[in-house]
Amino acid sequence: MSEDTERTGRNATAEADDGADDSRWFELREHTADVAVAAAADSLAGVFAAVAEGLTAAMCDSIPTTGDRFEILARSESPEAALFDYLDDCIYERDVRGVLPVDHRATVRRDGEEWVVEATARGVPLADVTARDVKAVTYSEMELTEADDGWRAYVVFDV
Amino acid sequence: MTDTAETREYDGIELRKVREFVWEIPQEGGMNAPARVLASDALLEQIGDDKTLQQLRNATHLPGITTYAACMPDGHQGYGFPVGGVGATDAEDGCISPGAVGYDINCGVRMIRTNLTYEDLQGNEEELVESLFANVPSGLGGGGIVEGDADTVEAVLERGMEWALAEGYATGDDLDHCEDEGRRPDARPEFVSQKAKDRGRNQLGSLGSGNHFLEIQRVTDVFDEAIADSFGLQEDQIVVLIHCGSRGLGHQVCTDYLRKIEKGHGDLLESLPDKELAAAPAGSELADEYYGAMCAAINFAWVNRQLITHRTRRVFERVFRADADELGMELLYDVAHNIAKKEIHEVGVDEDGTAVPTEDAVAHEERELYVHRKGATRAFPAGREEVPAAYRDVGQPVIIPGSMGAGSYVLVGGDESLAQTFGSTAHGAGRVMSRTAAKQEYWGETVQDELRDQDHIYVKAQSGATVAEEAPGVYKDVDEVVRVSDALGIGDKVARTFPVCNIKG
Repeated sequence: MSEDTERTGRNATAEADDGADDSRWFELREHTADVAVAAAADSLAGVFAAVAEGLTAAMCDSIPTTGDRFEILARSESPEAALFDYLDDCIYERDVRGVLPVDHRATVRRDGEEWVVEATARGVPLADVTARDVKAVTYSEMELTEADDGWRAYVVFDV
Repeated sequence: MTDTAETREYDGIELRKVREFVWEIPQEGGMNAPARVLASDALLEQIGDDKTLQQLRNATHLPGITTYAACMPDGHQGYGFPVGGVGATDAEDGCISPGAVGYDINCGVRMIRTNLTYEDLQGNEEELVESLFANVPSGLGGGGIVEGDADTVEAVLERGMEWALAEGYATGDDLDHCEDEGRRPDARPEFVSQKAKDRGRNQLGSLGSGNHFLEIQRVTDVFDEAIADSFGLQEDQIVVLIHCGSRGLGHQVCTDYLRKIEKGHGDLLESLPDKELAAAPAGSELADEYYGAMCAAINFAWVNRQLITHRTRRVFERVFRADADELGMELLYDVAHNIAKKEIHEVGVDEDGTAVPTEDAVAHEERELYVHRKGATRAFPAGREEVPAAYRDVGQPVIIPGSMGAGSYVLVGGDESLAQTFGSTAHGAGRVMSRTAAKQEYWGETVQDELRDQDHIYVKAQSGATVAEEAPGVYKDVDEVVRVSDALGIGDKVARTFPVCNIKG
C-alpha cells in the first residue's frame, strides 16, 4: 500500500471467497451528521474489506507505513450481521490495541448456519497518526447486495 | 386541527400545521402515533432537507409510542431515530430501543461557573488553550485522565460520581448540581460486556473527537435576571462548557444490545421500518438488561465529564494562581443528551383511553414511560422532584451549545415542556452540512485563523480536519433554535454565552 491512501475510487486487491485476487473500491458519501461508505467488489469478501478501507478513510487522511498485522474473526447469522460484526471488531480492536486498522484483507465463508469472517489488518499505532474517532457501525440504511458485476455495500458509521 | 390547516410536503411526507412552530405528520399505515416537528419555517426547511422526517415517522412504529414522536427545533438526520428526537414508550407494554438512545450514551454537556470576568481572562487565552489541550486528553488514542483497572471501571459503572467524590475528583457540591446527582441507581454493571469494559478502561477522562469539545466562554447577555441569579450567572462572567459522553464503553453497550435484540426479538424487529430501531419489549429480559447496562454507561459518562472538570480546575489554578474554590469553579449543571429514562408523566387520553395530544384530551392519567431523548435535553420545569433541590423552585438548567463561532445558551425548563415534549427541548444548534462537504468547504487552519483574528476565539484541535468538520457554518442558527424553544415555552431563555477558547479532538 502506498503511504497515502486515496479517499475514493481506490482499486486494490483482496483475498476473495475463493482466494483469487479481487478488484474493489469504496467512496465516502455525504451524511448530515455521520459518515457513509459505499463500496463494491467482485466478491463478498472484497466488499467487506472495501467497507473497512472506507472506515479507515473516515478516520484518517494520510496513512503511515508502520504497524504489524493482527487478526479479526467474526461469526454471525447472516452476511449483513457478519459485515456489522466485522466492522464492530475493527473499531473494538482500534480502541483496545491503540492502533488504526488499515490495509484490510478478508475472507468470508459459510459454515453451516453461520457466516465466518477471517480478516487481518495492519495496526498503525495511534501515536504515529492523526486520526479522528468513528464511534460505531450502524445498521441504518445498510445495504449488502449481489449485482451482476459483484457485490455492493452501503454502511453508515456514527461519528 | 381543521381540514384547512396549512400543509407542507417534503419527499412525500406531508406535515400539517397545528399552531405556530408545531407541525404534525398524521398517523397512517404502520405508525402507532402521529409525529410532531417543533420548528420555525426556516428550521423546517432545513429539517425537511434530509431524512429527518422519514426517520421521525419510522420512530412512531415503535410499540407503545405514546402521544407522538417529537422532533426538537435542532433536529437532523441521524441513524434509525433522528437526532433531536424524543419518543416516550410505555414502560409496561411498550418497548425500549437502544437505537433511540444512540451509541454515545449520556453524551451530554456541563457548565462550570467561575468568578472571573472576561477582563481577568484577557491576555491568558493562549496559555489557557495550550494548557487545557496538553492536560485534557482528546482525539483518538489520547488515553484518559485515569488509567482504569477492572475494579475502577466496575466502581465507576456502579457508583458514578459517588466514585469520583470518594477518589477526590469531585466535591459534594458537584453531585448536588448534576442530573440524578451523578448516579443512576438502576445501573447494572454485570450487564455491560467485557468488550465494552475493555474499551472504557483507557478512555476514562477524555473528550474524544467529532463534535466534542471543552470551551471557555463569557456570558454576554442575561435575559432573565432572577433565574440567572439563581443559576449564579451574570454578564461578563467566565464559564467553562464540557461536551462529551461515555466514549467507547457506551458505544459498545449500544452495539452489543442492538445485536442481542436482533437475535432475541427478530419478530418485533421485522415490524419496524429500520433495523437500527431495534427494540426490546418492555418487561422482557433484554429490556431490563439493556436498561441496566445503559444506566451504568450513563454513570461512566458522568465520571468522564467529572474527571475533565477536575483537570480543568487544576489548569485554571496554575494559570490564575488561585485555588478552584477561590476562583468559584462550581458546577452549574450537567445534563444528558442521549438517554432513556423511566419517568412518570401525565398523559392526555381520549374517551377510549388512547394517548392523544393534551389539547385533544378528555382526561389525563399518570403513566410510566421510557422517555428516549436522542440529541435532546431534559427540560423539567419548577416543581418536578427530579430537579436538584438547588433549582427545584426555578426549574432545571438546560445548556444549549452552539458552534465554536456562535453563542451558546442557558435555558430553564419551561412550563409547557411536560405537556408538549415529555419535558424536553433541543440539545444544540444541529448540523446542516455533512462532514465530507464541510471538509470541501472549509480549511481547518483558515477557520482557526479567522476565529482568532475576527472574533478573538482561540481554537486548538488534534486535527485540522476536525476544525473544518465543526466550522461554524456547518450548524443551524442556534439563535433560531432557542427562539422556537422559548416561544413554545419548553425551554426559556436565561443567558447567552460566547466562546473565548475551544479545544477539541
